[in-house]
Amino acid sequence: MNHSDCSGCSLCLLVCPAWRETRDVRLTPRGRAKARQHGASAAEIASWLDGCTLCGACEPICPESLPLVDMVMELRRERPGAEIAFRAAPVSLLSTHTVILPGRALGADEARGQRTLGLFGAGHALAEDDGNDLALALEAGRPIPPGRLSAFLEPLRAAKRLIVAEGLLLRALRRWLPKVPAISLGEALSVKPAIREKLRPSDLYVIAARPFHNDHARLVGHYDGLRNASGCEMNLDLQRIAIPAAQARWILEGRQVARIVVEDVSDAAAFSFSAAPVLHLADL
Amino acid sequence: MEVLEDTGARGIFATDAGGTAYGMPHGVVIARTAVQIAHLLQAAQAHGVPVTVRGGGLTTEGESVAYGGVLLDMTGMSRVLALDKDALWVRTEAGIFWAHLAEALRRHGMDYLSAPLNLTSSVGGTLGVGGIDVNSARLGCSADQALALQVVTPTGEIVECSDSENAELFQRVILGYGQFGVITEATLRIRPYTPLRMHYFYYSSLRVAIEDLQRLDASDASDYSGILTIMDKAINLLVAFDSDEREAQFDARYRATLRGSGEAAFALRMALHYALRPWRWGEALYLWRRKRQLFPEFRRKEFFRGDRMHDRSVVFSRAVWRFWGSRQMVIPDLATAAAKFADAVERGNAVCRKYFPRYTLYCVGIKLREDHRAHYEMSCIPPDATIRAYGCEFEPLIGEAVYSRDRLQSFKNEIYDIGVEIGASYYRFGGMMKGYIRRVFGDALVERHLAMKRAADPAMILNRDVIF
Repeated sequence: MNHSDCSGCSLCLLVCPAWRETRDVRLTPRGRAKARQHGASAAEIASWLDGCTLCGACEPICPESLPLVDMVMELRRERPGAEIAFRAAPVSLLSTHTVILPGRALGADEARGQRTLGLFGAGHALAEDDGNDLALALEAGRPIPPGRLSAFLEPLRAAKRLIVAEGLLLRALRRWLPKVPAISLGEALSVKPAIREKLRPSDLYVIAARPFHNDHARLVGHYDGLRNASGCEMNLDLQRIAIPAAQARWILEGRQVARIVVEDVSDAAAFSFSAAPVLHLADL
Repeated sequence: MEVLEDTGARGIFATDAGGTAYGMPHGVVIARTAVQIAHLLQAAQAHGVPVTVRGGGLTTEGESVAYGGVLLDMTGMSRVLALDKDALWVRTEAGIFWAHLAEALRRHGMDYLSAPLNLTSSVGGTLGVGGIDVNSARLGCSADQALALQVVTPTGEIVECSDSENAELFQRVILGYGQFGVITEATLRIRPYTPLRMHYFYYSSLRVAIEDLQRLDASDASDYSGILTIMDKAINLLVAFDSDEREAQFDARYRATLRGSGEAAFALRMALHYALRPWRWGEALYLWRRKRQLFPEFRRKEFFRGDRMHDRSVVFSRAVWRFWGSRQMVIPDLATAAAKFADAVERGNAVCRKYFPRYTLYCVGIKLREDHRAHYEMSCIPPDATIRAYGCEFEPLIGEAVYSRDRLQSFKNEIYDIGVEIGASYYRFGGMMKGYIRRVFGDALVERHLAMKRAADPAMILNRDVIF
């Protein structure tokens, strides 16, 4: 993992939401890498890092296959940041179920959370420890105390499968628990026939960007199949990269959609300006 | 006007896609409006400060590298401004990447005519040098799809130009290598979007493949055509179609006349070839591996509906960057009249073989517009070409190998020497290769253009290291 491996092709600019918003190359992977290659210190480019949403759109299209999200997180770790209030959770019981980590937004919405759990049925359980503080720490580039990490991971080690809403946490869990299969909440819901059959050609389906890009090579086929089967439009650009919901106006430009269906509850707010109703997958 | 002067911001622009030319601007300005650029150029004229304009930075000879002065990053101007589906035109800011233009057009079921296969060329940069696509044999180079431009002249005037308005400026700016103005907006021809169906024919002879390519082009037998090779072993003639009707016409009239073979026959021929040459099994292994990596990239399911490829620019460009890109890229080229092309390619191929164990050739036709003959003066379009010019890029596949700059430069020189001998032109004759400009175009023409440049740009500030 090295900034000197960037060849400067600029493909990352095409998909970078920070670049789409500002047209300022400094805020992009290429900008950071080239600046480092030509002598800028991590401190000198520290202020450029805030623009990155860690959506991971740049990773699947990088011809050098650079771990660009990890590189941003590493740069963020090198700068001072706010302290995270880590949860003082006791070690929960081992779970042999499929464990769902619903993320901050869905976790705060009890009714929708229960509806989501209901879609999965028996053998599935919501995690007692949601790991949201760890997700915050990952995003901010703050170190995670080893004791807190092991308390979080211990009950998950025997899980049959993990279903994770938050993309950065999913990415980390795949590394922390390589033997436990982990998929995104969006993928887990979107394979359900009960949900697939309710999607309409007039819908705009909003893929959650972080988990999609983290497993893009596999998931691009999954979502292509879903798009084919349902006929719905998706927040994909021509490279089959998910445009994050923060770019909602661009996603909707030139499109007439009857409903907006989001995988990630926290994406709904970005479409609030639209006349079309915004639904979570569990609302279908 | 904000001028970025910190090391980081300047360092971003220290080299171009070629990665062999280096220079540092004193400051960087992100383009936002034509008025801002006009003020910048007026100040630069007054104080004699060089201004280097950069779009996608995909030059390979340092043409978009600033050796001091101000670097103007045009990608800050990337909005699509207007679209008329009935009249088939789009107006866009010129710093936009072709990929983003394609994306905007697709929302309306439209597409551009032709653009370089790399996604991150900018519209303005491309119009200044040419822009070649696999449909250029039919639709011409990208520069020829410009209907009108907004240009900021080197002295800071904002001028609209086209074939009918300020035509002389239009002639100089199109294919003008950034010498006569900064393109800030462009009106381009567009067309309805269509997916395409591809066919590949394999050849063992470059000359035969080129003859077939030129015959297809002359007959208007396909919508897309080009030759892509791995060394001079896997020689692939690609043809593709926008419609069933065009494809049926090709099948009925032309397919049987092609001397290339299908994939299976090609594999058999290669197997026999290398079975008799065990000392070249390393090359055979390379070809096999390359095919195994490359072919799936051209057949990714998410870009196909049935047997039709969608978003060809993405499919081709992804492959280009993944399999042809590297940290150093030298891509000398020759552009010739049709009759000289096979000779030029064969001679260039011999130079490639001499310098590099692995390389690729990319050949394509470029339909010319007689009414744009004035645009072509001192450009990549060779003066003796009529109806169609042909271009070939000679690209060593450098990968992780390390070559000295001397070796890379000597390779380029030998290719360009061929151009001088046969009376060709080049796509990349600026920057580090500008020493060839007088040799290939002659002093009289260059002096005439230099006089025009001095009149238009008294302090010689705009892109001063590119041509003159």
